[in-house]
Amino acid sequence: MSETVAIGTPRPRAPRPEELDLKFSESAVAELDALKTHYPDLKSCILPGLWIAQREYGGWLPPEAIAEVAFRLNRSFAEVEGVATFYTMYNTAHKPGRHMIEVCTCLSCHVCGAYRIVDYLEEKLGVKLGETTPDGMFTIHEVECLDACDRAPVLQIGDQYVGPVTSEMVDKILDDLRKVETPSAVQLSDAVVKVHLRDGDK
Amino acid sequence: MSFEVFRDVAKPIIAGFGITSRRLLQQKEKRATIQYPEDRREQFTRTRWRHVLTRYDSGLERCIGCSLCAGACPARCIYVEAAENSDSDRRSPGERYAARYEINLLRCIFCGYCQEACPTGAIVLRKDFELANYDREDFLYTKEMLLEPIRE
Amino acid sequence: MAVDEGHRTVSVTINGIEIEVPQGELIVESVKRLGLEIPVFCYHPRMKPVGMCRMCLVEIGFKQPDGSVRMMPKPQAGCTLPASEGMVVLTDSESVHRDRKGVLEFLLVNHPLDCPVCDRGGECPLQNNTLAYGPSTSRFIDLKRHLPKAYPLSQYVMLDLERCIQCGRCVRFTEEISGEHELAFRFRGASMQPSTFQLLDFESKFSGNVIEICPVGALTSAQYRFRARPWDLQTTPAVCTACSNGCNVWFDHRAGRFVRINGRINEGVNEEWTCDKGKFGHDYYNSTDRLRTPLVRKGDQFVEATWAEAYEEIVKGLESAGKDVAGLCGTRIANEGLFLFNRLFKQVLGSRSVDHRWTRTLGTSRVQTPIAGIEGKKGVLVFGSNPAEDLPIVFLRLRKAATRNGTQVTVVTPDVTEADAFATVASRIGQGDVLKVAQEIVDGQSELARKVADCLKEDGAIVTSDRVRNLPGGGEALRLLEDLAARCGAEFNCYPTGPNAMGAELLGVLPGDGGLDTWGILQGCCSGTIKALWLLDCDPTTVEGGDQALESAEFLVYQGVTRSEATAFANVVLPMAAPAEQDGTWTNCERRLQRMTQAIAAPGDSKPAWRIFSEVILRLQPSTPFFNPREIMKAIADADPRFLPGASDLPEEGAILSATTQAAMAGDGA
Repeated sequence: MSETVAIGTPRPRAPRPEELDLKFSESAVAELDALKTHYPDLKSCILPGLWIAQREYGGWLPPEAIAEVAFRLNRSFAEVEGVATFYTMYNTAHKPGRHMIEVCTCLSCHVCGAYRIVDYLEEKLGVKLGETTPDGMFTIHEVECLDACDRAPVLQIGDQYVGPVTSEMVDKILDDLRKVETPSAVQLSDAVVKVHLRDGDK
Repeated sequence: MSFEVFRDVAKPIIAGFGITSRRLLQQKEKRATIQYPEDRREQFTRTRWRHVLTRYDSGLERCIGCSLCAGACPARCIYVEAAENSDSDRRSPGERYAARYEINLLRCIFCGYCQEACPTGAIVLRKDFELANYDREDFLYTKEMLLEPIRE
Repeated sequence: MAVDEGHRTVSVTINGIEIEVPQGELIVESVKRLGLEIPVFCYHPRMKPVGMCRMCLVEIGFKQPDGSVRMMPKPQAGCTLPASEGMVVLTDSESVHRDRKGVLEFLLVNHPLDCPVCDRGGECPLQNNTLAYGPSTSRFIDLKRHLPKAYPLSQYVMLDLERCIQCGRCVRFTEEISGEHELAFRFRGASMQPSTFQLLDFESKFSGNVIEICPVGALTSAQYRFRARPWDLQTTPAVCTACSNGCNVWFDHRAGRFVRINGRINEGVNEEWTCDKGKFGHDYYNSTDRLRTPLVRKGDQFVEATWAEAYEEIVKGLESAGKDVAGLCGTRIANEGLFLFNRLFKQVLGSRSVDHRWTRTLGTSRVQTPIAGIEGKKGVLVFGSNPAEDLPIVFLRLRKAATRNGTQVTVVTPDVTEADAFATVASRIGQGDVLKVAQEIVDGQSELARKVADCLKEDGAIVTSDRVRNLPGGGEALRLLEDLAARCGAEFNCYPTGPNAMGAELLGVLPGDGGLDTWGILQGCCSGTIKALWLLDCDPTTVEGGDQALESAEFLVYQGVTRSEATAFANVVLPMAAPAEQDGTWTNCERRLQRMTQAIAAPGDSKPAWRIFSEVILRLQPSTPFFNPREIMKAIADADPRFLPGASDLPEEGAILSATTQAAMAGDGA
């Protein structure tokens, strides 16, 4: 919240349930209904609900997505927003590029040259960490340990780990990714939802 | 008896007159008294007389209307009403300024606690001691009277 | 706080003193029994403990079988620790003091030191605890976190994120007490901030409470903003007169002017909460529309007059009208004023046309369940009116009953209500269908009726308000439900909503035999059967046909606190003192009689209602006038034994009056 608001300005009110523009596809609603049965109460279903929303809204969670999840799970908007903004794997601040390249810079990767990869990516794509290329293709992020120290330095793209990476490999990875249509955040979200659904069936 | 009267009464009187007549003949600068309205004695640096609300060099008021002076005042002679600064009408840095600031100097005991309590150094007790007036109402110093003029 | 019989107690040693406390009681509460205090920020006795602020760290140990004490290696949070047998608590040891110092230093790392401009400064738990337990200086030399200040979260609440210490009291309040869950923590770590969804309007009807429970100046009142500092204020215990719930409040005033309302504890009524209507609805005390002097009409305009001139005019007007006089009153008038108003018309002027009710169909209220009693009910039917709007404190009790005691709540209302969130059944009444739905419920055939019957089958209650009478068929519907309640052994409560409506009803400010009611009086004015009309703090222009009635009345007295539309029609205007500007007793919707003492002086020449009537009666009928409200209360109690508790000193929490005169007599005998 960077905006400043003059005192006494009436605040816009939160949308009423009937004013929401619901975007979940039929299959998404079915998935959510299936997930609801996995938990003792709907509060517990917020996390998988947000994963579905992240997939349905194209790889991020705009306020409308949060509102939709809250509405479908009968929770308050603020509560769901609190959950969504807590976890870093939900993209709530802005829409990422089509492919999110997350570089692990924790100890093992650092030692094996993760920052060389970061520097190379920054130079190659012309953006800094946390930024998106102007064509909306790539967003690069620095992340904490991905639990793949045996493959250090490691990248996460969607639900795939790539490593150990070298500068030469990065070129090829980028070229390959340009051909992939599905945004990596959507692909990751979908994979997580599938895992949730499968776990429940056991 | 008469010796005692002389010793206790007449002698001190004569001695007193002696001092007076000696001073009378002295140089002007050595005299103990001064010609008050024309001449003024230099005051001690920590003299505490009438309050002044000071300003920053930028001309903004230092007072933020926090009422701590009123809280510290043992004579309860300060009344402060605060208001909110806006960008178009900025009196002091920050959010708050004193819209009304009144000191009842009849009640004030010039203890200087207000100066001590002031977090911004806005209220100071300065050397203006000529506070006599004809009406009680005139001893109610308002913010306009207390505020230091803007220095050019 | 007394140890319940039947509850298991355990022996706990606190600072070397052994005491018995109920098993499972939180340590932070147990130490209070010894008059000790553990400093807290996030802990609030009426909400679940979370242990977020770590201020309540204490040393804990356990007595071993061999008699030695084994201390836990690390300090524990006293607010989340239940008492158990053999527990040893140290609240005053060196290490505890060191811990508190450390915690406070951490909290102050990012807390701005703008106490001089902070509205909380002077009554701030963070200030107090820092002074008592904190370090005198900070070792922190870096830049503090900077976030927007004075962000208006709603028209009442200002949010200052820099000052927030993330205790979560406000978040838990909206989650546990008011129930909308409108506030939540966004983001995490150092950037965690309490806010509404996308910082949109904070719409809760109880938002004012978060201002009071915030232990720092992060949530402040927009109305009170920069109006005064706590040491400038004088405070008087008072009763809120915004609605019939009669919440206990602190009435804060400065230099004779009203400044703010804060909640005051009364376990029987509001616990310690207030609603926004009450907390922010007392602006009229400082209104520029306040009447200050009596006004008498001279031709086309009002002329300021003395009381004597005004009374002379009134006596002339009333005498020329003979028995064709009537009185209408509002409900923001103390019992004493209402009693004398009633006496003026019924005994002195010989008219029977007096009324205080303004609903479309008129009826009397019936209340069987006291507010606190709702908590113990097994099932509650909310019918026709939104309790959060009309009876805010009843709503909070209802919510507490549903969420903590598992009370089954059925909501049958025309509009969406806040109570739907915890109701087992929420059903809507279509436009104009109140009577139909009530009939349906009583007939017991439909699905809804079965659910209602299920809800009321054992120890149930019906909660509704006199607002239902405004709906077409509402009066009839209430009658049906009352019969239903009697049949299934449930308690029936049609709570009045006007501040002292219950008082007016008990005092009989109702049309006598052959007298006209509100609508009859207004019609009578139009048709000329009522020649003189006295308006006591009410404005008939807001109801249908009120304008014509006031226009056609030959002689009109308007007595009120502020100017209103009706003032323009009056022949004589009398300024009246507002509730906190006079001594008086008030009866809330559960018939709780509460005394309010004068907090500030009434502006200008205005006088309390009882004094005005006392003086008018004196001029119409030579008699000994009443000199103070206590004498009037004694007279009321003489006339109506139900009011006997009021004749003596009322307890601080007030006294619930019995419903019937017989019960009062019996109670008095016993």
